Amino acid sequence: MQHEVFANTEDFGGPDIVAGTGRISQPGVDAPYANYELGKPFDEMFSRDGQARATYAAIDSRVSSLPLEELNRRQQAVEQSFLHQGITFTVYNDNQATERIIPTDLLPRIVTAREWDRIERGLTQRIHALNLFLRDIYTDGRVLKDGVVPRSMIYGSKHYRREMRGIPVPHGAYVNICGSDLIRNEAGDFVVLEDNLRVPSGVSYMLANRDVARRAFPAVFRSMGVRPIEHYPLELLATLRSLTPFHEDVSIAILTPGVFNSAYFEHAFLARQMGVELVEGRDLLVNDNVVYTRTTSGLKRIDVIYRRIDDDFIDPLIFREDSALGVPGLFNAYRAGNVMIANALGTGVADDKAVYAYVPRLIRYYLAEEPILDNVETFLCREEKSLQHVLGNLDKLVVKAVGESGGYGMLIGPHASTKEREDFAEKIRADPENYIAQPTIQLSTAPTFVGNGIEARHVDLRPFILHGAETKLVPGALTRVALKRGSLVVNSSQGGGSKDTWVLSQ
Amino acid sequence: MFYSIRHVTRFRYSGPVRESVMELRMQPRSEGPQTLRSFQISTNPRAQLYAYTDHLGNAVYHFNLLREHEELRIEAQATVEIGQMPAWPDALDPLEWSRYNGFNLSDDHFDMLEDSRFARMSPELESFMKIADLQKPVGDPLSALKALQRGIYDSFEYEPGVTEVNSPIDVALEQRRGVCQDFAHIMTAIARSWGIPCRYVSGYLYHKGARDRSAANATHAWVEAYLPSLGWVGFDPTNNIMAGERHIRAAVGRDYADVPPTRGTYKGDADSELSIAVSLEPTQAPVRHEDFLKVARPMVTPTSTASMPERLYHQQQQQQQ
Repeated sequence: MQHEVFANTEDFGGPDIVAGTGRISQPGVDAPYANYELGKPFDEMFSRDGQARATYAAIDSRVSSLPLEELNRRQQAVEQSFLHQGITFTVYNDNQATERIIPTDLLPRIVTAREWDRIERGLTQRIHALNLFLRDIYTDGRVLKDGVVPRSMIYGSKHYRREMRGIPVPHGAYVNICGSDLIRNEAGDFVVLEDNLRVPSGVSYMLANRDVARRAFPAVFRSMGVRPIEHYPLELLATLRSLTPFHEDVSIAILTPGVFNSAYFEHAFLARQMGVELVEGRDLLVNDNVVYTRTTSGLKRIDVIYRRIDDDFIDPLIFREDSALGVPGLFNAYRAGNVMIANALGTGVADDKAVYAYVPRLIRYYLAEEPILDNVETFLCREEKSLQHVLGNLDKLVVKAVGESGGYGMLIGPHASTKEREDFAEKIRADPENYIAQPTIQLSTAPTFVGNGIEARHVDLRPFILHGAETKLVPGALTRVALKRGSLVVNSSQGGGSKDTWVLSQ
Repeated sequence: MFYSIRHVTRFRYSGPVRESVMELRMQPRSEGPQTLRSFQISTNPRAQLYAYTDHLGNAVYHFNLLREHEELRIEAQATVEIGQMPAWPDALDPLEWSRYNGFNLSDDHFDMLEDSRFARMSPELESFMKIADLQKPVGDPLSALKALQRGIYDSFEYEPGVTEVNSPIDVALEQRRGVCQDFAHIMTAIARSWGIPCRYVSGYLYHKGARDRSAANATHAWVEAYLPSLGWVGFDPTNNIMAGERHIRAAVGRDYADVPPTRGTYKGDADSELSIAVSLEPTQAPVRHEDFLKVARPMVTPTSTASMPERLYHQQQQQQQ
């Protein structure tokens, strides 16, 4: 049974008003900002001279007017709410899985209408180019023949699915749900750090955080013209439905690896919000090339599967034969067009960190446009000159394994010991094609409540792009926070938290 | 030359199983000198068969069985015509090596140059190459491949039961014994390390007398190497012969993992036992099925784009004429 501890209309705080005083806080001086450090990175709230930006004025005056105990109380109410709703996340470490709430921060991060406009246009452009790229490498391979992308990078990628060659996908949309990670560089410009084109997660936290921040600062929220995001599940549903040619009785299911998956909460949450089935592999079966779910009243046909399982596990007949999570025969049903799968299989080849470096070139190649959002400068260790540069500057660079995600298999040069750097250099030399390096980018900082005040913490931004018959961005994002002072790792699997993102309507 | 092939596969389960799903790659290919004249496949218990062509051009049949069963039989019957095989030269000129260039190599070749799941470099293989003097190709590519085939033939004993279907080549290399699958993987890995695109062929061999080492009445495997001036040329390291008119090709792939004749899953707490029978006989030219069916009247395409019910009505009308 589920208790809604707080009704939606109820607030975490007492009466909340937008303070009319024109007080402007000084970071590093005024409470609660006494320990707020402004450094080289761009700060979301304060300009370099320590002035609070106009967009944060309302939040600032509200926060400054509340005693520390009250902020603490609201933060605790937020955490309680998450725990009661079961918004948890599994962290794998030392072979142990621990269930934690994803730490969420009280204070919203604000994105202006102008900034959002550029993000929206940039990501739309990007997902178009990436989908054209995927269609190309699974059909004609024009981009390979023209030598724009080295063939070995694609054919050598463990995420390149030869089985997908020549299989048409509806609307040419291979990536239907994308979560791209953006960061703000020192100049304050948003740049793309990586694209997540396989099974991006985190959208449920975007929605849950909104619930929290809105109730923590209701009056401020109402006064600022924050664009709504609550329709995300409906947009997702529309995107999934657009993948089938049918309009009536379309049956959709979310395929989850199961309750032990770190993102299980999200799978259940989205299924409930969209009113679709939540199934595991064993709940499905394929008969005569058609996918069915087992129900108490017999078999029921499934038309679209939003899968949250990696390619490798989706069908033991075609991919990993030891997979107990998948559905034998699913891929052939998909090949026959009897079921649609979102995202399509084989999209991982395009979010490979080596392919990432080529995305600006892909945008020019397929769209004949200049990229609206830049990449972070990236060195491909597969290129001899870059390899030497990387090995010579390990103390300044972040090195990442090409096929990994979630912060695994990476070295943060400036924070690593000499020994760690030497060990990693060995790994790079042994398999240079598997590594890329980027300069340590100072992620921007944002005000974050830390218990005894508000301090600056590094944040990134993950908007979610939907792409079916049309491309849509819900005006919001998951802002991930590196909760440790000075840390740049925002991944929730590595102890990062999150906060609500307010995209302003003007 | 015509061959009639009958390939029976039987799975027996130690208890009832259900929800079997299976893919079959046993339809002989139709290309080059080989033409498929007829092909039938059936299962017992009966299942609806579906087919597709995989990215390597192999015909794949697949089916599923929901209901409980303790035995599954698959029977494939093919008639294949093998035409005149090209006469390969004894050797090529050494300039052939320089023809492995971007101009001659295309998409299809790239996969056949990289390590694959079974055909891959290993310390075991490297030491074999050293001992057998196969580290570097000697002479032109064709001569080098023949030397490689002979080297494998001379170094290994043909012996079933030493390796299993999923054994890495290291098992055969350690024992210096194995079967056609192992020899094909070893030859593939070495040829690729020399820069020659090489692929695995699954099929059948018509045995003539006792000269062949491989087992009669079984499926067979060999390799095809790409020679820019000749195309794909077949080598059979198990029998130390070039693939010719006795070799019937069913499927090609990077290695065995791409082309198993049967691959499947089932549910149920039971072990499975697999038996295979293959019979391969020269035969007379078969009656061509298409000769039976003469089209009396070509189909008339409806001029208007009639909506579904109207068209159905149309068809029903025709039936009454």
